[in-house]
Amino acid sequence: MTAFRIGRVDVRVDVDPSGARAVLAGRLDDTGPLGELVAQLPPGDVTIDTSGILFVNSIGMREWVRLLRALRDRGQVTLEGLADVLMVHMNVLAECRGLARISSFHASYVCQACGYEGPMVIDAVAHEAELRELRPPKLPCSECGAPAELADFPERYLSIFR
Amino acid sequence: MEPSLLPLPGPLPGPPGKLVVAHPERKVQRALHRLVSATSCPVQIATNSDELLAAVDRDTIAVVDTAIARSIPGMCRKPARAWIAVPGEGLTPTEGSVVDALLAAGWWHVIAHPMPILAEELLVTVQKLLRNDVFGIEKYIAWGAEVRTYTLGDARERDDAVATIAKDVIGVGLPDRIGSLVSVIADELIANALYIAPVDDQKRRFRAHEVRERGRMLHGRDVVTVRWATDARYLALEVRDRWGTLEPSLVAASLASGKASLPSAESGMGLALAYACCNQLVVDLQPNVMTEMVALLDVRYKPIELGRSASFHTFVTAKLGES
Repeated sequence: MTAFRIGRVDVRVDVDPSGARAVLAGRLDDTGPLGELVAQLPPGDVTIDTSGILFVNSIGMREWVRLLRALRDRGQVTLEGLADVLMVHMNVLAECRGLARISSFHASYVCQACGYEGPMVIDAVAHEAELRELRPPKLPCSECGAPAELADFPERYLSIFR
Repeated sequence: MEPSLLPLPGPLPGPPGKLVVAHPERKVQRALHRLVSATSCPVQIATNSDELLAAVDRDTIAVVDTAIARSIPGMCRKPARAWIAVPGEGLTPTEGSVVDALLAAGWWHVIAHPMPILAEELLVTVQKLLRNDVFGIEKYIAWGAEVRTYTLGDARERDDAVATIAKDVIGVGLPDRIGSLVSVIADELIANALYIAPVDDQKRRFRAHEVRERGRMLHGRDVVTVRWATDARYLALEVRDRWGTLEPSLVAASLASGKASLPSAESGMGLALAYACCNQLVVDLQPNVMTEMVALLDVRYKPIELGRSASFHTFVTAKLGES
């Protein structure tokens, strides 16, 4: 395992026979050329976990897309625990279609029963068919257990699956 | 002792000019008529584009149904005080594609939300135009809500300002989602004020490619102020620069086109991203003096209860405006 920092993003890389796995946490902004991560990963398939990314601005988004483009040329890119902020911006940008496979992502959910509003993780593999039809799954509220719903228009999170 | 009786003031003289409301539905005409009549400005009703164009002159503020607005290309470029597009049918928000089309066509005022938000937004918009008093988030927030101010002393304080605002926003009980959206909006608007607004003698944006981590003391025209407030209806964020160099005729179209493409330049997507994160984006501009960007997030309703696209307004004034 190696750990380093690019701008305000903490990066941890693990490599095993099935491929590389990078865990990113922090702020994706104009302070770090995220493309530097490519040189730290072996060629082949890679999984990127961005659960810990809390902020992304327009320049950070540009760096993110550049990173995905560079990695796509070397193997399958799988995004795991894709951060809410990244998911929303990736759905806005046409360039993001087909750049990577999304296995799970965070989204804002709201519980009508208790009023809780917060992020939840959606398993994009288990719910693949629904997501493709822009039907977000209901998930148990983390406070009261009642079915919680996506707190936003489905296309803001799910257009990328169509 | 007898109380002294003060004479009641007479009716206030109406502001110059007139308002024309153009909408095909009689019920909506009535609602809009009642609403804009609150300004004491004379109101004329039009049912179609012919009646509208016949009624509009240089002093008119035209409030136009989106279908009528799109029926004549270039309508918003015809001489008038302002053209304001409003939702077409009853309680339905304006479709995102319609908002984009109006922005691309150069409309400076597009209201995406139906009643009751329409009422609040339209009245403020019309009054700002009539009074030529455009600056300040106070116009959008209920009296009594405390406005918090941050003045950046150095360009490197941008991150601290953004983090502080996000923390304070969550601290007043708003959800993390709002804190996250405010962070993105504040960051983009402050970055524009710091790096895109300044121009040199040749009108070149000489700081556009400046290294963002470099410290720079902010004096005089470089001062950037950020203010925010919430009244549990809206969270309003305001960012001001003292350059006033934003090109108003290009902003609306850039928001429509910036939604689906990656930035090729630093300024390319920032404003579009801020617009995508809020429910109403307002540009207040005094050319060569001040640009004020106001972003409003509606915290009453769930996102799915609001329009898919945000409203947008551009105000340009020659009047010095420090509120």
